[in-house]
Amino acid sequence: MAKGGTGIMADTHKEWLERLEAESRKKQELFMNDIAAKLRHPRMTEKPQHPFRGSPDFWKAFEWSVEERIEAFTDNFLSVGGHVARLETMEEAKRFMVEKAEEMSAKYVIRQNQPELADLDLEGALPESQVSVWNTDPGQYWRARAAEADFGIVIADHAVAYTGSVTVLSAEHKGRSVSLLPTVLIIIIPVDRLKTRLGEVLSAFDEAGRENLPAGIHFISGPSRSSDIENDLTIGVHGPGIVYALLVG
Amino acid sequence: MAAGSKTESSVKARAELALNDEFLRKAVRFTTERLRGGKKKASEEHGNWEEWRERGKQIRLHTIAHLDYYLNLFVDNARSNGVHVHFANTGEEAVKLSLDIAQHASAKSVVKSKSMVSEELHLNHALESIGIEAVETDLGEYIIQLAGEMPSHIVIPAIHKNRYQIADLLSKEAGYTLPPDTTALAGFVRKKLREKFLEAEIGMTGCNFAIAETGSIVLFENEGNARMVTTVPKTQITLMGMERIIPSWEDLEVMATLLPRSATGQKLTMYMSGITGPRREKDGDGPDEMHIIIVDNGRSLQLGDPEFQELLNCIRCGACLNACPVYRHIGGHAYGSTYSGPIGAVLTPSLNKNIAEWDDIANASSLCGACYEACPVKIPLHDMLVYLRRRKVESGNGNKLESLGMQGFATVMGNSSRLGGVLRLGKLGQKLVVRSGVIKTKLGPLKGWNTYRVTPSLPKESFRDRWNTLDQELKQELRQMDPAMQRRMEELVKKREQERKDGKGGNGHHG
Repeated sequence: MAKGGTGIMADTHKEWLERLEAESRKKQELFMNDIAAKLRHPRMTEKPQHPFRGSPDFWKAFEWSVEERIEAFTDNFLSVGGHVARLETMEEAKRFMVEKAEEMSAKYVIRQNQPELADLDLEGALPESQVSVWNTDPGQYWRARAAEADFGIVIADHAVAYTGSVTVLSAEHKGRSVSLLPTVLIIIIPVDRLKTRLGEVLSAFDEAGRENLPAGIHFISGPSRSSDIENDLTIGVHGPGIVYALLVG
Repeated sequence: MAAGSKTESSVKARAELALNDEFLRKAVRFTTERLRGGKKKASEEHGNWEEWRERGKQIRLHTIAHLDYYLNLFVDNARSNGVHVHFANTGEEAVKLSLDIAQHASAKSVVKSKSMVSEELHLNHALESIGIEAVETDLGEYIIQLAGEMPSHIVIPAIHKNRYQIADLLSKEAGYTLPPDTTALAGFVRKKLREKFLEAEIGMTGCNFAIAETGSIVLFENEGNARMVTTVPKTQITLMGMERIIPSWEDLEVMATLLPRSATGQKLTMYMSGITGPRREKDGDGPDEMHIIIVDNGRSLQLGDPEFQELLNCIRCGACLNACPVYRHIGGHAYGSTYSGPIGAVLTPSLNKNIAEWDDIANASSLCGACYEACPVKIPLHDMLVYLRRRKVESGNGNKLESLGMQGFATVMGNSSRLGGVLRLGKLGQKLVVRSGVIKTKLGPLKGWNTYRVTPSLPKESFRDRWNTLDQELKQELRQMDPAMQRRMEELVKKREQERKDGKGGNGHHG
């Protein structure tokens, strides 16, 4: 273990990490053996029977119709201070966003680098605003670009009606910062991605398996909030304070 | 609290300190009442609550019973995701590892989101001792950090501060005067902490759940600060209690159903994030390097213990605090430890294995069972409190009085004539959960409950009956709070309820 103070380490960062890993692997065995001993069984290496996996069966059978899902999602999202618009086409979504950007004088807009968003040509529709596209220039400090943005625009990967939540997954073209750092967040939700229960979205991650999961999976259920000062609700503490969910389709 | 150490004053003395602070008492009562009401409403609205609790309990029981398998699986998977996993048997080891990582990252500052484990380790002091700034970024935690205090509630750490005190603290930080207005204060914090997030080399988090089958960690929050600290800095350190494991994402649905509803009455917190390793090579954000420190620090002592193993099922929702008549009376600081309320009363001595020293905490409970009924994973906390007292006696620390479970009581009430008075009061019974005036000036509420519990000639009435009396008294006192503050708080709640009815605005739950 390096002794503190100088900031100059005798070993390279990589060597240090390797040393930590070797220590950790040794300790892992002791740690697990100790747990097994305290539980008074031999080290378990086979997957145990898990008869209570996931939600109760009655819940797994529960499903709403599309219209019910839209209604429940809308009610839930509104109840926490979010905004919802029900739109037919992406063209309508574009019109909605352009109007909002003009109404609020959004100077900086950042969007995910997705073809559905590129097709909207927001860049052309918002000549007064600077529209950046996530992670298109490796020289750029993208987190700062997102932090200064008035609008962040993303497309939901999934949504859940029962909890009023939207799920966004990180990828090369989809920054986590875009749904987090701007003042206003606009989430486009294709209606066919709106599920009834949280479990429908979660079990998809089990099915996908570890290797296929992105680094960041984020469920967003409304604007950032806190009641830490005298129980008084404050919106927009760290994350976006204004959130629009656009249900499209 | 370092293992084995203890703050100087007893719960009795600390409780009196707390009780003398009018604002704290009233704010605690108001907040716990609000959260309790929120939970009740949310669990009723969801329906089949008992079945969900039972499912939650079964998942936690199963995981802990096979912890060697599931924790090992989690570790292997997290490593495959590119995470550097470390093990700490003690708090000291966890601190040492954290400092080592911070130094290798040449860190000048660390931004932290809420982590009870980190509170347990007193990590901020350790970081500061080597010249690294540690910034709590949860609004409530930030406030109490500026005040140099400890959290008083697991979910709402700064409930004991009013907005004038908060305005003073933040004005000092700002270098100019901020108005005592919630929106302005939160706005200042947003701006201030934005800079901190972008500057910090390290982001540090706790861990609500860890998913064994994919090596992912899951964080629940309302403000977005946990997302900040896992998105912006180059290095992420996650401190995780070794028992945080659940097998799968499917199991997370059950925990996500139980935790927010029990904590704040929400259907889901505003953010729930599953982090699976550092950023992928082509990702534009997320940490380059991710460490998970798995902390034992006394937890494994509960394994294989038939009376206390279920403590490890705890999902840290705070519902038992809000349900507990004692907590609602005295607030979190009176417990003098990281974890307060019924869960703290059992967890603190169990983690420290120094039952004798923490005995008075175990006595700071009425054994009414409200904590068990509130617990979303059905931990029999009231039974555990009894076991704890019995063990204390068995460990040979008891004299005759202690053998009756009266240790804390006897220490404080050494004076025989006062003791006689207490015993008389106990026999009277009815006056037990007395008008606070009597209790406060003479005995303190803890002593009142102690007396009731331990006096051999107990009245026939069940504690549940008494609890109802107490509950009404708490509400009564709520009505007696400072009219201006009460009006303000009630208006806020009313406004939010109205907004909810109208289908806009917030539902009034915590962030």
